[in-house]
Amino acid sequence: MATHLEITESLKVFQDNYNSNQRLKIMNRDWNRVVVIKATDIESLNTFIVQDGLVSIKEGALENPDLTVISDSETLADMFYGDITPTEPYNNGTLRIIGQEDDIIRLDFISLMIWGE
Amino acid sequence: MKKVVSVSLGSSKRDHKVQVELLGERFEISRVGTDGDFNRALEVLRELDGKVDAIGLGGIDVYLFVRQKRYAIHDGLKLMEAVKVTPVVDGSGLKNTLEREVVRILAENTGLLKKGMKVLMVSSLDRFGMAEALYDMGCDMTYGDLIFTMGMPYPVKTVAELEDIANRTLPELVKMPFQMLYPTGKKQESQDEAKVQKFAGYYYEAEVIAGDFHLIRRFMPAGMSGQTILTNTTTRDDIEFLREKGAGTLVTTTPEFEGRSFGTNVIEAAMVAILGKTLERIDAEDYLELLRNLNFQPRILRLT
Repeated sequence: MATHLEITESLKVFQDNYNSNQRLKIMNRDWNRVVVIKATDIESLNTFIVQDGLVSIKEGALENPDLTVISDSETLADMFYGDITPTEPYNNGTLRIIGQEDDIIRLDFISLMIWGE
Repeated sequence: MKKVVSVSLGSSKRDHKVQVELLGERFEISRVGTDGDFNRALEVLRELDGKVDAIGLGGIDVYLFVRQKRYAIHDGLKLMEAVKVTPVVDGSGLKNTLEREVVRILAENTGLLKKGMKVLMVSSLDRFGMAEALYDMGCDMTYGDLIFTMGMPYPVKTVAELEDIANRTLPELVKMPFQMLYPTGKKQESQDEAKVQKFAGYYYEAEVIAGDFHLIRRFMPAGMSGQTILTNTTTRDDIEFLREKGAGTLVTTTPEFEGRSFGTNVIEAAMVAILGKTLERIDAEDYLELLRNLNFQPRILRLT
């Protein structure tokens, strides 16, 4: 089990990697989305905001998110630290993402562009 | 008579059966669409196994080739592995060979492809051979995989970037449910209106639109201005659709039988039946030689 702090730290690592990737910033320049990250086994809510190509993080959950990412704390921290990809937990049901299909693929794509080969 | 069946995840509305003669041998070629029903496709494949000479898998890619690398789509592999006896192919082996050859023929023998021409490939990772051949002959390429798959307005302009993105993402994306990556079943009969409107400019700017017909169709806006469409599988209805939208010329990479061109999976399956070799022993040169013997040429149809 990971702690809320670990999840928040992992999101900051993800944010730093994203924001230092010029190509991702161009790719997502018109993809303004609010993504809530929710753990199922501990009290942990974070919001990941993509606005004008840049990512910022807020603690807690904003209302009416475009996407909600739900999983156990360990999976969330592992995923945002880049230790695992979202595909396997998504396919086996450990990770649930509520939102439009295009947005779900885009989120997976962003993660792979940061951590992929 | 040899029997070749294409089992497709696509719409059953496109089902058909024809008899043709290839190199002196009679073939019955048929298609069975399962309307996106994956389990039905598994059933049909198991029923056909051992009863026909070769099977093509349609409406789904199994292998994606990116230069020397080959990525296997997991859902496609599940279908392929359901067949134990009969050779089963997805068309990717032939596609990689045939479509390079078609680009060469069009560039050398027609005015339809010229250096500097603006070409939109609606999707390119499912036909890297064509993507690379068009780039190598000097076309001004827009690879639209990210635009049309996930709505990302990011035109990839070079094969090098396409390859980089593919190598970063495909090892994982091939594990996703196939219907998230490609329209199957009923989705193939409709257009994605939001993307048609949002990304019409990419179609209008291009002189040639190339790639998978289901994707070309799904995103094509009205008011085209005589563009050339370079694709493979079309029916009479598809040709009418292209006329209505204002496309100028249709080039299909596979031959026409009874008013429609067949998918590369069907042609590859027929070739496998002709060659009579195990799949492991068939290489690109076998396909090229057979294409020459069959005198396969791209079909060019003026639409205006």
